[in-house]
Amino acid sequence: MTPPELRDLLADALALWDVPGRPAVAGGAVTLAAPDGSALRVLPAAPADHPIRWWVERPGQRRPCTSVLGLLRTLRNAMGAETAEARRLRVARPEA
Amino acid sequence: MIPVSVVTGFLGAGKSTLLRRVLRDPAWADSAVIVNEFGEVPLDHDLIAASEESFVSASTGCLCCVVRDDLTRTLLDLLARREAGEVPRYRRVLVETSGLADPAPILHALMTDRALAATHALAGVVTLVDALHGAAALARHPEAQRQVLLADRILVTKTDLAPVPEAAIRALNPAAPLRAAEHGAADPGWLLAPAPPPAALPDWAARHTAGLGSVVIEREAPLPALALTLWMQGLAEHCGTRLLRLKGLVALAEQPDRPAVVHAIQHMVHPLDWLEAWPGGDRRTRLVLIGERIPRHFPARLLAAVEAEVAAELARRA
Repeated sequence: MTPPELRDLLADALALWDVPGRPAVAGGAVTLAAPDGSALRVLPAAPADHPIRWWVERPGQRRPCTSVLGLLRTLRNAMGAETAEARRLRVARPEA
Repeated sequence: MIPVSVVTGFLGAGKSTLLRRVLRDPAWADSAVIVNEFGEVPLDHDLIAASEESFVSASTGCLCCVVRDDLTRTLLDLLARREAGEVPRYRRVLVETSGLADPAPILHALMTDRALAATHALAGVVTLVDALHGAAALARHPEAQRQVLLADRILVTKTDLAPVPEAAIRALNPAAPLRAAEHGAADPGWLLAPAPPPAALPDWAARHTAGLGSVVIEREAPLPALALTLWMQGLAEHCGTRLLRLKGLVALAEQPDRPAVVHAIQHMVHPLDWLEAWPGGDRRTRLVLIGERIPRHFPARLLAAVEAEVAAELARRA
């Protein structure tokens, strides 16, 4: 996933979470601002870091993410987005 | 399993008239009808003349708001009375929603309630649209929009008074089979048949209307089952209640010769069903998401990201 592709996905995610902001590509990372004004950077992890795929950096903090779903979850928390609407996938009972 | 058909439509669309005519047909008379009326004085159920084999039960209050208590209790109570011989031995249930009901919670209850699970199965959603006032209702009322969005079949009534508002309907639901009622009547065999599989639907195109709309994903290459699962989890987690429905045919990498039928209402997904073969030889994955204020490209972008991760992991392990 290239940085521009990640930027576009995160822009959609911010819209879904009703969080204002516009992610941007800066070097090999995607940057965005948290509501408290702190800067967030999302960087792809090096292959040697496997199973870590992404790093989320903010001043004084660096968090690993092992999947894009984990990355979205981490960012959602970091952005303070409302999670009341979040749902876990459930399987309906089998049809007879 | 007793099939349950949900008959919905905005105020004045002709739901009671339609059900009255359906129950007059001897072939469909062995039906139980649950009429949900928004108001303290049940009235609509008096307008549906039941035959000896059929009968009508009324509930008041908005079904979509009290659905777990009201619909579940009513269905199970009817079933108990049916087994006790206190009511006719009906073969199907027709639920007429109030004109202001959002069908999604009703479908959700039918899919998830454990007590209902053993005895009832959702057959489909029939939505009535009034040709005279339907376009205006769809333009102004979210309830009317959601009723059309979630329809498996659409019946347009009062077509003797106005033309079918096809553009307004198709802007929301471009694929559900649509027919015009003739003087309030329609073939019950068509109307109440099980929901058509996605393969039988015509081509979809992305549509957006006032925040409600559909998004289409088409793909040539088969998709790993794990990627499909993770993608659906991501949709449920981040779209939440904005995701109304997801349906389609998927070519899974593990079994590409048979299409998997995906069907979910909000975050509740049916176990995968399998068709024997790809209809019409078209082996592309075709998925339709129906939702509210979902960024148009989010589903496809999320799928691409998840699929790339799964592919990378599979390659690493190979």
